[in-house]
Formats: sequence, C-alpha cells, structure tokens
Amino acid sequence: MSFLQPWMLWVLPAIALPILIHLISRRRHRSVEWAAMMFLVRAERMNKGMARLRYVLIMLMRMAAIAAVIFVASRPLASGRISMFGMSKPDATLILLDRSASMETRDPQTGESKRSTSLKKLADLLEKRSYGSQLVLLDSASDEPRLLDSPLSLLELPNLGGTATSADIPDMLERGLAYLKANEAGRADLWICSDLNENDWNPKSGRWSAIREQFSEMKGVQHFLLSYAERPAGNLSIRVDNVKRRESGNRAELVLDVLVQAERQPDQSGNSLRQIPVQFEINGVRTTVDLDLDSQGASLQGHRITIDRRLRSGWGSVSVPEDSNALDNRFYFVFSEPTQRRAVIVSDDERTANAFQLALNVPLEQGVENLAEFIPSSRVSEIDWQATSLLIWQAPLPSGLVAEQIQQFVNSGRVAMFFPPGQKDDGQLFGAKWGQWQKLSEEEQRKLSWWRTDADLLAHVESGDALPLNDLRTYQYCALSSAGNSATPLARLGDDRPLLVRTATDRGGVYFCSTLPTAQSSTLERDGISFYVMLQRALAVGSQTLSPASQRDAEIGVLGEADQWEAVAPTGDRPTLSETELQAGVYRNGDAWVAINRSLAEDEIKVTDAATADALFDGLSYQRIDDSIGDSASLASEVWRLFLLVVAIALIAEAFLSMPEKQAVQQQASSFQTTENQRQEAA
Amino acid sequence: MADSSNGKHPFIDPRVLARLSAQGLQARMPMLGSVSGKHRSPIRGSSLEFAQYRKYVPGDDTRRMDWRAWGRSDRFYIKEYEADTNLRLCLIVDTSGSLNFKVDGVSKFDQMKSIAGTLAYLTSRQGDAVGLYCTNERFHTEIRPRRNATHLRIVLDSLAELNAAGKTGLAESLHEAAENIAQRALVVVISDLLIEPEVLKNCFQHLRFRKHDVSVFHLLDQSEIDFNFDRPTRFLDMEGGEPITADPNIMARQYKQAMAEYLNDLSVVMREAAVDYHRVNVDDPVDKVLARFLLRRQPKKGAR
Repeated sequence: MSFLQPWMLWVLPAIALPILIHLISRRRHRSVEWAAMMFLVRAERMNKGMARLRYVLIMLMRMAAIAAVIFVASRPLASGRISMFGMSKPDATLILLDRSASMETRDPQTGESKRSTSLKKLADLLEKRSYGSQLVLLDSASDEPRLLDSPLSLLELPNLGGTATSADIPDMLERGLAYLKANEAGRADLWICSDLNENDWNPKSGRWSAIREQFSEMKGVQHFLLSYAERPAGNLSIRVDNVKRRESGNRAELVLDVLVQAERQPDQSGNSLRQIPVQFEINGVRTTVDLDLDSQGASLQGHRITIDRRLRSGWGSVSVPEDSNALDNRFYFVFSEPTQRRAVIVSDDERTANAFQLALNVPLEQGVENLAEFIPSSRVSEIDWQATSLLIWQAPLPSGLVAEQIQQFVNSGRVAMFFPPGQKDDGQLFGAKWGQWQKLSEEEQRKLSWWRTDADLLAHVESGDALPLNDLRTYQYCALSSAGNSATPLARLGDDRPLLVRTATDRGGVYFCSTLPTAQSSTLERDGISFYVMLQRALAVGSQTLSPASQRDAEIGVLGEADQWEAVAPTGDRPTLSETELQAGVYRNGDAWVAINRSLAEDEIKVTDAATADALFDGLSYQRIDDSIGDSASLASEVWRLFLLVVAIALIAEAFLSMPEKQAVQQQASSFQTTENQRQEAA
Repeated sequence: MADSSNGKHPFIDPRVLARLSAQGLQARMPMLGSVSGKHRSPIRGSSLEFAQYRKYVPGDDTRRMDWRAWGRSDRFYIKEYEADTNLRLCLIVDTSGSLNFKVDGVSKFDQMKSIAGTLAYLTSRQGDAVGLYCTNERFHTEIRPRRNATHLRIVLDSLAELNAAGKTGLAESLHEAAENIAQRALVVVISDLLIEPEVLKNCFQHLRFRKHDVSVFHLLDQSEIDFNFDRPTRFLDMEGGEPITADPNIMARQYKQAMAEYLNDLSVVMREAAVDYHRVNVDDPVDKVLARFLLRRQPKKGAR
C-alpha cells in the first residue's frame, strides 16, 4: 500500500487524543460526599475484568476512527497486483512501450488494444502514485526518449498509436540503461509494456546477460513487466509473397502467393474447416476468393489476377474480415514491370570476364532482361553506378575515389563480388586483402569441405535440393585475409581456407571468392550450374533496390528521405511524417513504389512464456503483472472509501460499547420493591 | 406531647404522633419487665388472661386449684394465668459520619432522629421503658431504659444533641449491646448498615441468642441505589477514608451490581436471624414508616 499524501501520516500520533482527553476529563471531575463507599470499592474491584476490557475497546474504537480519518486524508492506494509496500519514491520513471503490430490485438467488447490498455493503466497508476522528477517514454518504433510532463500525457501524446513495426526489447532496455546512466538517475522505476512476442524479446540473445549485468550494477532500479501474453483465439493474419506482373499475349496478370495464418482455437483439435473470404483490391477493383481454413491457416499459391495491360506498375492489397487485430488483416503489395538487371564486370582478363558475362546474360526468370557489361579496370570511370545492380571486380582492389564509389554502391543496397586479380595485389577494401596464389594438391583440398546451405548465395534451391558443389574442383586458390570478425565464410576448402566469404555491411552485399571460374583455377565455369545460380542470385538481390516496386518491413529509415514519398494507401487517415515509415501502406516517389507491411515475425504465434521472461530478469528487482486486454481493474486504486467505512464501523461500535445498560438500570430500580416483597413473604 | 412540641425537639412531629397514637407498640415475643404492663411475659402471673392447666404438684398454692376440673375428672389441676409486664425499648442509633449523607433536604441522620424520637415518645407514653444507645466507632452515649417522663426528656434531649461523625463501629457495638442489655428487650437498630452482611449476621444472631426482639430500620437514599452520575466524579468518603475518583460510565454497572448483591445478601441475613427488617428511603414520610412498623407488630386476631 502506498499513499498519495504520505506526509499526512505524520499526524498519526493524533490517535493518542482519546487517551489524552480521557486523562484530562479525569482531572476535571467534581467532588461529591458519598456514604456508600463500600460499593464503589467493590465496583472498582469488579471493574478489572470485562468492564475494563470494554473500556479499552471503546478507547481502541475511538483511536481506530481517528487513525482511519488520517488514512483517508493521506489517500491510500491499494495496488493489488503490485507490491509497492516499502518502496521509496523513484527519482525517475521509464516506460518502455512495445508498439509492435501484435500489441494492437483488441478486446471486441471494449475496443481497447493491448497497447491502449497498458497506457491507460500506467497513466492511471502513475497519476496516483509518485513517478519522480522525470517521466520518460521509450517506444519501440522511435529512437528518441520522450520526456513527459505528466502521466496523462501518455493518453494525449500523438504518435503513440499502433505501428506495423516489430519491437526489439533488448535494444529498448539498452536504450533505457543508457538514459539512466546519462542522467544519473538514482532510484528508478522501469515499466515494460509488452505482449511477450518471442521475436520482440529474443530471449536466447546473448545481449540479455549483458543487460542483466549492467542493471544489477545500477542500484535502485525496479523493473515492472506489464504483460499481455494472451492471444485471442481465431485471429487471422494475411500476407503476400512473390508478387509478379506477367504478360502473355494480350493479357497482363499478377501472380502472387497468399498466406493466411490462424491462431489455434483452444477447444478445437485442428480438423475443423471453415471458409473465409479473402478480398483482393487492385486499382480499385475488388475480387473475393473463399479459402478453406484449417487450424493452421490457409495458403493460396500462384494466384493469378488479370489486370489492365496498360497498368505497368501499381499497388494492391489483400485482406481478411475484421477480427481482434486490425493491423494484420490487410497486406499491401506493389508491382511493376520487370526491369533490366544490369551487371558490370571489371576485369583485365577478357577470358575470365567472358565467363562471367555468359553466366549473367541469361536471365533466371521469365520476362526479365539481363545485361552484363565488361569494362577493363582502366575504364572504371565509365561505369554507370546508378543503373548497375551487380559489380563483379576481378582486378586489384581499388583505393581512393573508386573505393568510395564502390562503398556507396554497396550501401545503397546493391551487391559487389570480388575475385582475385591475376597479379599480386596489395590493396585493401572492406577489411579484406588478397594474398598469394596457391596451387592445391590433387589429393587433399580440391573438394569443398563445407558450404552454407540454409541461406545466401549457395543455399539449397526451393525444392530442397543442394547445389552440385560436391563436384566442384579447385586447382588454385588465392589467400584472403580479413580484418576482425567481419567476414562470414559461405564455403570452405579445408579448415581455414575460405572459398567464398561475405563481409558484414549495413545494406547490400559484399562477397569475396578466392578462386576464378576459368578452367585454370577451378571447374566453376565448366560445371556451370553452381556458378550460374550464385551469380544470378547476387544479381537478383542487387537489382531489388533498383526495382521500381519493392516490399519492405516497417521500421525507422526504411524509406530514406521520407518526405519525398507520397502516401498512396491507405486512403483514410494519413500518418504524420515521422510515422510514415512505421505504418503499413503504399508509398510512391515518382516511378518507385514501396509497400510497407509488418514483418513476418509479428504474425508468428510464438509467445515467450512467463517463466522464461522472469528468468531474463533473474537477480534484478523485478515484478511481472499479468494483465489482460480490456481489463478495467486499475493497477492501483484509491481505497479511502474503505477507510471511511472503517471510521463508520468504529464509531458505531464505540456508540454501542458506550451505551448505558438500560436493562440493568431498570433491574436495579425495581430491586427495592422486590426485596420488600420477599421480606413480606418471609414475615 | 408537651415535650414533642418543644422547639428543642424539632425531629418529633405532633401530627405524626397524633396519627400513630391509636396504635400501641407491641413486642413480638414475651418480655421480661419489672412492672406490670401491656406485654406478655414468659412467666405465669395473675392477670385475668387464662394461660393453661397444669397438674398439681405438692407445694402449689391450693387457691389456684381448679375445683371444677377436679369435680369433672377427679384429678387436681392448677389453673395458670398470663403475666402482663412492661417492655424495655433499647434504641441503638448509628451516629457515624455516613449518616450525614443527603441529596436534597433530609439527611439520613434527620430521618434517624425522627424515627428514634417518635418511637421513644410512643413507647414511653404507653408506660414502657426507653433507653438510648448511640454509637459511631463505639458507644458514646448509653442511656439505660427507664419508665418515667423525665427519662424520656433525657432521651429526647440526647437525641437532639447528637452529631454524626466518625467511622462505623456498629458491629462491635451490637455485640456489646447484646452482652450489656441485661434482660430480654425490644432492640431497635437505626442505621445505614454500610457493613458487610456477613458481619451483621453474627451481630443479629448474637442479639437473638440473648432473646432480644430485634428490629432494624435500614436507611437508604434513592440516589445511592440509582447512582445517576454522568461524568467522572471524585467521591469523598464521609467517614474519612480514601477518596475514589471514578467514571460512572465505566463503574455504574458494577456499582449497581454490588448494591444489588448487598441488598439481596442483607435480606437473607435478616430473614435467617428473624429480624424485623425495614428498609427506609430517606424521602419516606416518618408516619408511614412507623405505621408500617407498628401495624406489623400487632398480634394476629385470636393469637396471644
């Protein structure tokens, strides 16, 4: 229990007033000459038992009434689910708000979402109890901490609505930690409002131990987790993959894959089927397809929708009927004509360049046009960087202006692949440096010892079959040294001889391959398949950035210059500029289209269980409050009415105890007559 | 009557006397007087009242033989007659400090004097002897019973001069009186009896053992029974004891309970000791109190 006016408790010694008044009134007596002293002496003797207890009770009732009045004045708070007893007033209160899409799950009765419920309850609680000199809000969708004037600002602030983003709880905690350290806050309360989505919490991340360690070093930080882990059954989420515009004959059509995910109904075994209408909207035209839904969901592969042939690019959306979470009922997509995929091969060896050209010129997909251009290293300045998706560099590593241009090229999301030059090279780029060529003996290290099959350039194909890399033979190998741990090997010859390496970059991709495709160095060109797939995949990734239509996950900075983009959909309430990248929708900048949607992880049904969440705060001062959506019971409520009731009860009890015993008086009054009668009878 | 109207004895009201004069004071049991009077005697005498027959034994006065009975039964019977004697009234009055208690107007002490004076007058007028024993811690005034009018004046004067003071020594005084009053007498005790009933029981049984006819006027004030106080009060002991400060809100119930127990115990004691017990409220008119007393002592019809 805590108090809104705790200073009123200083008045508590006033409960001694009844005793004081009693003592004073004993002194203010009058004197009476009395004959029947023997009865007074007897009465005093008898008074030591029940009567004294009764009088003590009367005193206690009076004291209780005064104490209760003082408690009423100090405005007590009962915080049923939160133990605040003995907690001192915090100097600062930090609120970490999860604004991810899954937090928008609503209660159908009240219309309140997890996010709004948590904000309301927190505002209510903090309004009632002390929150210190600083009240700071850190939300998952924006970078900057916001200083709030009062807890009620939580309900009034703009840009606190739901977003299509994912949250990164460890990152938020790190930001909170940084804030507390920077502001040297002593005693602090840290409130985390989240739905325990496993993707947001990432409980297996190594960051948690560091976070725990740092918080344990800070004394006086109290962690509260306001958790909304329940997932309403029957919620559907929809998303679209692989949107392609095709032309065949005089017709144009969109081909797309639709995936509907359903929360499992708790009382259903999973065999029940029902149909849901899935609505497609393209260029204002709506079509509805009924999908059979089982307990897992439903999918629609390669669905074709005929469109106007003149519609070269555009957007559309696919939606399921309204359910408990409005944010995952609609998915936006954009499409455009396939663009030319342009690759540039910088090499001084025409033979090698020719091998690359051959592999890159043949497009992987129908309707896509590939163009591979060979440029000698002396004419690098002729490269059209803006139009290029993939750079193949088989020349000494550049420096100066060209190196900067390549870095910008990669940072804009495109891909550069480096192959060893024919001659010795001392240059360095992306922390990597070529060493000496080495001939490999036929017996030992010709075959690949390992390659990464789950992702990236050498991953298995969609059918699940592996690329035929076992047949690859490598005859000579150029040593590669990379600074730090920034390089991730994708294929290795032996233990410490990487054949293909990817260097860590913010965007785009940088690959170093330690051999050449030509017959002198390896069988890459001769066997061809792996080489072709590798290059085509790199080209496809690099060309995504240049495609006029792209799908992105909602997050800060996803649009770059956000003010240059025009919001096309949804057509209703437009988000503010700062929220543009956080809301699902379609944005257009000239010919470029971007569809922003929630990430795949937000549709995942995995919830971190409470024990795991508790373990993440192991060793810290921490409390978890399990709340539910639309629960109207506040976290802490003023209970002065209860104490007013105590006052009333104490006063009534006091009145009863103080009431003179009328029956006894009447009995005494008649005793004279009774005794007389008895005596007469005896006589 | 001339004495009672004297301004020296304001406690005697002539109107009360006039009202009570028709009723004489009767003893409940035979008395041993020195002269002939209106009261039964335990010994046979020469009054006109036939008492009984008894067999003749040699030595009996033949003048008292019933010859008619001899003629009918051929046996000798002596005819005995009641002896009438006078009564000796011993008034034992309590003059301890507690008798000064009064709430409005009349004190217990005034009431005591009225009862004692009126009774002395009535007794003396019917030719019986009156004595006065005044006690507080012990007897301080002892006037043995005599019959003449001068003696009544002495008794009444002594009553008039009495002051209530000091502690109660009634129990010891009653034992003393039981021993000192030589012959059987009517002993009238007038007191507030603020003594434990168990102690009083012994006193009265002692008096009864000495064949005295014992009557008690128990003086009580209604306020002592009701104990109607509304705020803490310091009670000063009228007999010089320690004062007690008490809150009636806390104590009243226990006080009343103690009083009830006391009255109940006292009634039992009086009944067991065959004491003619009269509880007198200080506000009760004296004539009513005494009328009730006298009437109850009248012999039943046909009884002697």
